[in-house]
Amino acid sequence: MAVELSNKMSREIIERIKEISGQDPYLCMQCGTCSAGCTGREVMELLPRQVMRLLQLGDARALHCRSIWVCSTCLLCTARCPRGIDLARLMEALRVINLRSGGEVLVAEKIPVELLTRVPQMALTSGFRKLSA
Amino acid sequence: MKIPYFPGCTLYNKARGLDNSTRASLAALGVELAELSRWTCCGTVFPLARDNYMGMVAAARILAGVAGEGEDRLLTVCSFCYNVLKRVNYEMQHNPEARQKLNDYLEENYTGEIQVVHPLEICKEDVGFNAIQAKTSRNLKGLKVACYYGCMLVRPALEMGFDDPENPTVMEELVAALGAEVVEYPHKTTCCGSYQVLHENDLVRQRVRDILNSAAAKGAEAIITSCPLCQFNLDWLQGKILEQDAGFRQIPVLYFTQLLGVALELPRESLGLEQHYVDPRPLLLGA
Repeated sequence: MAVELSNKMSREIIERIKEISGQDPYLCMQCGTCSAGCTGREVMELLPRQVMRLLQLGDARALHCRSIWVCSTCLLCTARCPRGIDLARLMEALRVINLRSGGEVLVAEKIPVELLTRVPQMALTSGFRKLSA
Repeated sequence: MKIPYFPGCTLYNKARGLDNSTRASLAALGVELAELSRWTCCGTVFPLARDNYMGMVAAARILAGVAGEGEDRLLTVCSFCYNVLKRVNYEMQHNPEARQKLNDYLEENYTGEIQVVHPLEICKEDVGFNAIQAKTSRNLKGLKVACYYGCMLVRPALEMGFDDPENPTVMEELVAALGAEVVEYPHKTTCCGSYQVLHENDLVRQRVRDILNSAAAKGAEAIITSCPLCQFNLDWLQGKILEQDAGFRQIPVLYFTQLLGVALELPRESLGLEQHYVDPRPLLLGA
């Protein structure tokens, strides 16, 4: 995978991702166990394994891909990683860096009214906590 | 036996059936749930960013409040509440920085001494499945039930300490004690898509379809769960799946406490069986 200079993450951002997640993406050996079990894999343009690889390469596409917003934090990847990486925490770090600069994907006005009136309260509280700034 | 009880937001609204059937079925087993006099939202999800202590404040306050009452256990049934309360409790026990920051903020001195328990644990360890079997008056023989745990009850295994994380069996043991037939299928701990129903509806629909088809292929007539969000996704989306696939076979999705209540022949009004999208009453009550 060729890395263009424009996709390079700054040293500072890489350190923040490590600090917020407490995880070391360099431990990943690209076995793909995380991606095989992932809840969101069918609609991810980058599988969790590929997000890990981009993090290892310092490629900013990891920070701006749809996959981090499709993650439902079910922790199957974390539970099964043979290298002991808590991938869910890395996904969360990538989300919160976006969220803390105002980037979000769940906008209240865009939730269909039919769903809004039926969905359990916990879906709204958890969804807004994970996907809204 | 009396245990402090945290219902949580959804049980006071969209999942009244879970609240009522939990209180009623445990009462029939000799366990009285004493709802906390004051409680707030638990925070719903455990914050995975290590610097997000604000996301733990609500759960820590609830736990410290229970300890302040001189109690040693707290029972909750919603999978999300159980997960966040138990994980925050684990942090209070094992993470000195989290403990100090949260205690400083709350002006408490809580160190994780409360034990967060789930009704499935109460059924297994406090009441016992033999005792439950002896108390059931309605035989569910022949009813084929698939147990769905989802993600929040079992993961992460170290913090949750709830059964085997890859193959939990406590719900199956309960089903067997009620005289029903357990259906084994491979999707019982896969995620239904959770809150992504708000954001990635198509993805959740596909996940739900896989889970339901997997259980149906093994002959399941009903699915039981303890999570109001799993229940909603697995139940409500069946109508949407049916719009696209006329051959799709619908399956009632109910709370394990409702099945327990049916077996104990509790009054129908305490079970909330009429609140589901796919009506379980024809199957369970012959209505």
